[in-house]
Amino acid sequence: MEMLAYAENLTFTIAFFLYVGTGLLFLLYLTKLSVKVEKPAVAASIGGLTFHTAAMVLRTIGAGRLPLSNQYEFAMSFAWGIVVCFLVIYAIYRFAAIGAFVFPLTMLVMGYAAMQSKAIKPLMPALQSYWLTFHVGTAILSYGAFALACAIAVIFLIDAKRNEGKRILKDPQISDILTYRVIAFGQLMLTIVIISGAIWAQKAWSRYWAWDPKETWSLITWIIYAVYLHLRLRRNWRGKAAAWFAIIGFVSVIFTFVGVNILLPSLHSYTA
Amino acid sequence: MRKILLKTHKFLSSLGFAIVLLILIAAFIVIGTVIPQHLDASYYLERYGSFGKLIVAADLDTAYSSPIFMVLAALFTINLVLCTFRSLKGQLSFSRRSFSTVGEAGGIHVHQVDCKSAQQYFTNKRYTIEKTEEGFRASTYTWGVWGATIVHIGIIIIMIGGVIGAATAQESSMNLLPGNEIYFDDKGFSLRLDDFSMTFTDTGTVSQYVSDVTITDDDGSSFSRSMWVNNPLSHKGVKLYQASYGWANNLKIVDRDSQTIVKEGYMLNNSSYFHQDSHLSVYLYRYYPELGIGGNQQPINLSERERNPHYAVTLYQFGNPVESYIIGPHETIPFENLDITFTDSQAYTGLLFRSDSSFIVVSIGFVFIILGMIISFYFYPRSVVYGKETLTTYSRKNNWVYAQSIAKQLHGVVRTPHGKD
Repeated sequence: MEMLAYAENLTFTIAFFLYVGTGLLFLLYLTKLSVKVEKPAVAASIGGLTFHTAAMVLRTIGAGRLPLSNQYEFAMSFAWGIVVCFLVIYAIYRFAAIGAFVFPLTMLVMGYAAMQSKAIKPLMPALQSYWLTFHVGTAILSYGAFALACAIAVIFLIDAKRNEGKRILKDPQISDILTYRVIAFGQLMLTIVIISGAIWAQKAWSRYWAWDPKETWSLITWIIYAVYLHLRLRRNWRGKAAAWFAIIGFVSVIFTFVGVNILLPSLHSYTA
Repeated sequence: MRKILLKTHKFLSSLGFAIVLLILIAAFIVIGTVIPQHLDASYYLERYGSFGKLIVAADLDTAYSSPIFMVLAALFTINLVLCTFRSLKGQLSFSRRSFSTVGEAGGIHVHQVDCKSAQQYFTNKRYTIEKTEEGFRASTYTWGVWGATIVHIGIIIIMIGGVIGAATAQESSMNLLPGNEIYFDDKGFSLRLDDFSMTFTDTGTVSQYVSDVTITDDDGSSFSRSMWVNNPLSHKGVKLYQASYGWANNLKIVDRDSQTIVKEGYMLNNSSYFHQDSHLSVYLYRYYPELGIGGNQQPINLSERERNPHYAVTLYQFGNPVESYIIGPHETIPFENLDITFTDSQAYTGLLFRSDSSFIVVSIGFVFIILGMIISFYFYPRSVVYGKETLTTYSRKNNWVYAQSIAKQLHGVVRTPHGKD
């Protein structure tokens, strides 16, 4: 058991430093000092993800269940979701520059994970359900997508002020479209998170909706992104306003994840 | 008059109104997570001062059932219904037409595409194809125009479900000891608790609460089942949930002189028994199944396993504290002519009974929402026109991405919406 915990710690730390390296390489890419670093940066991120996945597998073996049930485990999985979403988008569009914004965020989430208690605790009765995997698994993808959308929106805001030659992504319209696509995916996943949570709550707590702070804040996040999607499609909101919306939405995501646990008493507070 | 009605209708069904309502709803539901809910009015007045008066007056202490919230939710539902109806006409004519060039960025050009191979490609992709003088036009997923409407209908169904739930759902809870039986006269069955047990993990935390129950219908048929958290039991429209637990502690008071039992019965934690003759109150602060000593030398409970059972008891006479004790089972506290003991404790189960027919309605809404979102995000209508050796793509969403993917498949070159290659 101790060996497992040690190996998990080690792989987690290696993953963290590989992400630090990835972030630095992407920053180098961004400053246009060297375009050649794109491939090493992507390689480092894949390496990081490999060790990250290994840490999660070791955790799964140690705990006898998927690592989805407290702040440490969720933060670790959340960071994993961000990197996966980034690599998927990279595989499709090859926009390496996004990495320079995604990996600092990943490091923050990993750092937050590292500060949490790593003790493996048995699942409390309310969490003993196959819905846990589905509910939290989709949350990881949803949050990962929203983080990525936020990073691209930041790029958009930086690019909007620059001349064509100095832009991070040569066409700001592309970052706008990408933000939209990623948010649409995130919103679909968030919808599944909320709905699976409701169905689960009906089984575990007898009510599909009880205005628990975590529920309420996910709904607020959902409303923010719903407004974004409507304004963009129906009112043709592009550009700065839409980008700010993507960032505000992510602030709400972070509050739902961290703030609710720290500030508001909730049935979802499983960290104690 | 008609003009005013039309204007009102236009406003009520507008997107602008929807956005304002959504932002108001989002802002309002924050209140319920910040202000503690369902407490006594005095709490708010003491803690928040004059703002507390506002909280009580505006029912912000029951935010999610307050009139303000009801009005917002009702307006939102009206808006959603009207707006969904209003767009129905356009969507109907759109889905009937085989072709539309409504689109984002007014269409994107893809150059260097061969007409024949393009037509072959779109035929293979099951597009509806029409020949034109200059080439052809093709479209697909025309039905995808319904995506948003399906989501909206889903939300309306959920709102209806919520109203049904609020109006008809019934809930009650009951604490039962093994052997206890309750009868649901309106449903025509009885429930007996056969056993209640807790299972523990290695560290002593509870891993599961299990209630074994037998249900007997009025016609005499019966069945037994175990229920635990996440595994409720359904019978005749009632759902039974394992909701809580606690300890029932057996108090026994014996008169030493006459050797008679003056009192024997169960007490819960944090409760008192008043013995009239000696003006004595026996206050049971709590039962510790596994007593330990905390950091500040205070007694704490280590787990619910009965490994070191103790009772924290305080006696009061004429309302004044006499003495506090921590005693084990069968240990006696002598007081005047009385011997006070706690003999043992029994875990009781807290069961929750709820009948709520709205869940099935809401579930249908869930299906609509997810289905509608998938259609809206991934099966939106798209079409192409081929003419003058150029392919133009049209789509209300993601036209740029759409043009890129088509150019990739057909080895063409996209002209970006800016007009640059």
